[in-house]
Amino acid sequence: MANHTNFRRMGRQVLLYLAVLIIIFWTVAPYLWLIISSFSYRIDLLQVPLRWIPARVTLDNYYELFFSRGGTNANASLFLRALGNSGVIASSTTLICLLLGVLSAYALSRLKFPGSRVYMVLMLIVQMIPPIAIIIPLYVILRRFELLDTRYGLILVYLSFILPLVVWLMRSYFGAIPSELEDAARIDGCTRLGALFRIILPLSGPGLVSVAVFAFIAAWNEYLYAFVLTTAAAKTLPVLVGEFSTKLGLEYLRIAAAGVLASLPPVILALVFQRFIIRGLTAGAVK
Amino acid sequence: MKKSVIPLIVLSLIVAVTLLLSGCAAAPTPEVVEEPTKAVEVAPTATPEPEPEAEAETITVIFPQHEADLSGAFEARVREFEAQSGVKVELIQANWDSIADRVVPEMATGGSAYDVVEFDNGWVAQWCGAGWTTPLDQYMEAGYTDGMIPGLVDLFSCPDGTVHGFVWNNDTRFFMYNAAKLAEAGFDASPKTVDELIEQSKAAQEAGVVEYGMAPFWEQNWSLVNELHFWAYTFGGEFVDDEGCFLFNKDPNTLAAVQFMIDTLESGVSNPAGLTYGQPASQDVFLKGGSLFYPQAIPGLLAYAQDDTVSDVVGQIKVALVPGATPDLSASLTLPEALAIPANSQHKEAAWKYIEFMTSYETNKMLAKEIGLLPIWVDLYTDPELTALYPEWAEFSAQLETARGLSTVTWYGDFADIAMSELHKALTGGQGAQEALDAMAKGLAEFECVR
Amino acid sequence: MQDRVKFSSQRGLGLALTIPTLVAVFGTVLVPFVNSFWLSLHRRDIGRPHLDGFIGLGNYLKLLQDDRFLNSLEVTVVFSVTSVILELMLGVAIALVLNEKFKGRGFVRGLIILPWAMPSIVNAAMWQWIYNADHGALNALLSQLGLIDGYKVWLANPLTAKSLIILANVWKETPFTVLLVLAALQGIPDDIFDAAKVDGASAWQRFWTVTLRLLTPVIMVAGFLQLLWGFQTFELAYIITGGGPASANELLALRIYTQTFNSLRFGYGASIAYLTGLIILIPSIYYIRAAYRSVVEY
Repeated sequence: MANHTNFRRMGRQVLLYLAVLIIIFWTVAPYLWLIISSFSYRIDLLQVPLRWIPARVTLDNYYELFFSRGGTNANASLFLRALGNSGVIASSTTLICLLLGVLSAYALSRLKFPGSRVYMVLMLIVQMIPPIAIIIPLYVILRRFELLDTRYGLILVYLSFILPLVVWLMRSYFGAIPSELEDAARIDGCTRLGALFRIILPLSGPGLVSVAVFAFIAAWNEYLYAFVLTTAAAKTLPVLVGEFSTKLGLEYLRIAAAGVLASLPPVILALVFQRFIIRGLTAGAVK
Repeated sequence: MKKSVIPLIVLSLIVAVTLLLSGCAAAPTPEVVEEPTKAVEVAPTATPEPEPEAEAETITVIFPQHEADLSGAFEARVREFEAQSGVKVELIQANWDSIADRVVPEMATGGSAYDVVEFDNGWVAQWCGAGWTTPLDQYMEAGYTDGMIPGLVDLFSCPDGTVHGFVWNNDTRFFMYNAAKLAEAGFDASPKTVDELIEQSKAAQEAGVVEYGMAPFWEQNWSLVNELHFWAYTFGGEFVDDEGCFLFNKDPNTLAAVQFMIDTLESGVSNPAGLTYGQPASQDVFLKGGSLFYPQAIPGLLAYAQDDTVSDVVGQIKVALVPGATPDLSASLTLPEALAIPANSQHKEAAWKYIEFMTSYETNKMLAKEIGLLPIWVDLYTDPELTALYPEWAEFSAQLETARGLSTVTWYGDFADIAMSELHKALTGGQGAQEALDAMAKGLAEFECVR
Repeated sequence: MQDRVKFSSQRGLGLALTIPTLVAVFGTVLVPFVNSFWLSLHRRDIGRPHLDGFIGLGNYLKLLQDDRFLNSLEVTVVFSVTSVILELMLGVAIALVLNEKFKGRGFVRGLIILPWAMPSIVNAAMWQWIYNADHGALNALLSQLGLIDGYKVWLANPLTAKSLIILANVWKETPFTVLLVLAALQGIPDDIFDAAKVDGASAWQRFWTVTLRLLTPVIMVAGFLQLLWGFQTFELAYIITGGGPASANELLALRIYTQTFNSLRFGYGASIAYLTGLIILIPSIYYIRAAYRSVVEY
């Protein structure tokens, strides 16, 4: 009998690890090919049959991100500037979104006030119109306020489409937390916001982290707005990556190299935040 | 800088008030509740102060990266211009699509962000009509354009005869072929007509030298419309007449060109993968020796072919005149790009100095030497220093005389949009050649001239 | 009396907490929003200024007869709905696996967002390269595994082209669902499962009756957002096939882009966007209702 349960448990474990392996393969395989491409010469990738590990390895594609072939490091300053812009814009957007979003979501999930339903609808309607449709009027307005090609301009625009989603997501997480817990805290003399920060936020830790990751990535990867609304000073990484191309089309290898680098910060961030997700879990278990 | 402080203050205000409100002992007082609202409403209206005027005159210049400019040769010239003229240049270089999508909204909304802009040949008719650019005649000395390739000046002149742009990139397309593989298939001369091209392809395919004669770039994209023009010109076809009346749906030569494109796919001369290729992918196949001919090649392709990190055909590629429908017909496509001054530029004098410098005989020659840029000055094609470097220029200059631009119509955007869709449908077997051309005429009916 | 005071303080606090967000969201986009709607009621062709003018619903009526637009609409609906279904199924499945205990779980959970962290333009360029007919990795993989005889031109066939573009989209977007569902799974107390176990429910039954029911709100949010984004997808189709073959992948965003930036018909481009918005609005209303109810019920 004991053997039988052990056997079943082992079988389950094997299946589980198999599933994890499949998931890892599905996620990583195309990216791995991107990495291999970024270290290859173009001609070596054109061969049939394809060699998965090309015979020659080169750092040229990375080198060119930082140095022009003439040897000047003009490209490096472009790349680092774009990296800095993306970092500042994505983290500012995330922080502002979390702050404003948490407060609104709390109000929407806990408080009765006029227009709360209309509010949710308004937040969604903003998302309905494809950004490409409003980009030209937006361009004109930002130009009038001298916000074109500035980080502030982009942060303001990003708030308009990321913040509503943050509100929606946070509200659904708050909705899942029983209000009795909060009532207890308020009886102990907390203000509503006091209860929010001391009771509800710690309980919704995993939700908060996933929303933060969401907001960060959405801002980090946004292309269209950044592309039209910046020219040089506030240019972000995806826009710079898109410019690795000639009149004829994209320069795949340089894009691959830049793409490998550009996708690392959000992943590292997510890895770091994993701990908080787990901590959120234990905090949740206390209740 | 004051600019960077305001939002920070606003943000910290919000944080402070929120923290104040989140106490756990005192009950909230009504006045405090109002605070965050006020604080935040400041945020969007907090407009930054304009930057102080820079001392030196600064012009903003935007044009695409030249495909052969891997060493920053253009930028070096720009810095040289700064040193000579004392004008500062904010240079924005990117790929063509990115440049177009930035320049067009800026021009259409009457902005003055740029002083010198990319002026693509396909935009001339439209921009002339909208009056977006500055006529350059007022700045240039008499006889300034003498010695330039006349066609290139004409392509950037508006109907009223004024010149609005000078070419920085003479992007004319040439016929290239893999001489080694052609010899292997038993031919020592490149095809003189399209029939010969088909014949040589089939022979080479049968001999097992290559799998396909050509790997065209016939993806549903703008470059497909370039191909339509290119093949129509090699068949002597026309698109519109001087009054803007449609010819493309009536001209038997244009029809023959489209039919030729379809036939090469059906007969296996063209690689069917070409239906999914843009120009870079099509070049890849040619450069790994997978195709015999590259009919509409950028001049820089020759240099790529010599680079063993992108090419398996080092030393095998040659240039010839584009084969035509008949032996006496050879035509090609030119897609020149010019520099122009937006009508709303605040620095027109400096902008003109820049254009004059960048398209001058001396700059042309220097860029030709460094990156093989095709000059706009006729004499440079016989300059001994350059012909020693680029023997293929003998063929190039012969082809330049027969090169034609894209159709000059104010509705080119619509034309391309409809043509690429209908043509791709025809190439993928969804309709016949005449059907496709008729469908184009139908879709563009609002632009048909009224006789 | 007591009740009234409570209500008014809720009201004050509610407004105070939500208005900053409202200002931040609409501060920049309200005017462009109204402006582009107004534009959609006009003929405004930059190349033909003499024809400019107010035409009421003219653009919208023209759209209903525009075959390219109708084709794009169909393409977009198929693309978005298929993508969403696959993303949700895959996303929930992956989240359930990652919710189990195994070695290196934290690392895999971080790794899983990798596709989503990739700039969309890189994603599109990568898949275009993978799908290449003459030397792509997909052809190489399938033929080395002996699944196909020779290299195939995947993107020339409308059906395979559509499927592969959806695959590229699903690969990139699924992590979003995983992230949300995983977070929601953390909030489900273990005792709910224990109770179900005691009731003798099988794992499969527990999934359907307990897990899925508890996940419904978050799945709805994820699905809805994915649908919205599906409708706005641009780079993927534009870079991989340019909208081909024969317009089989011409998503609405491509139409808007072409009409606005290439044909310079600003009014017409705006009307496509607004009609699209209106079309998504209809399922949205149902969604908002359902979501509202499910949150209240919770």
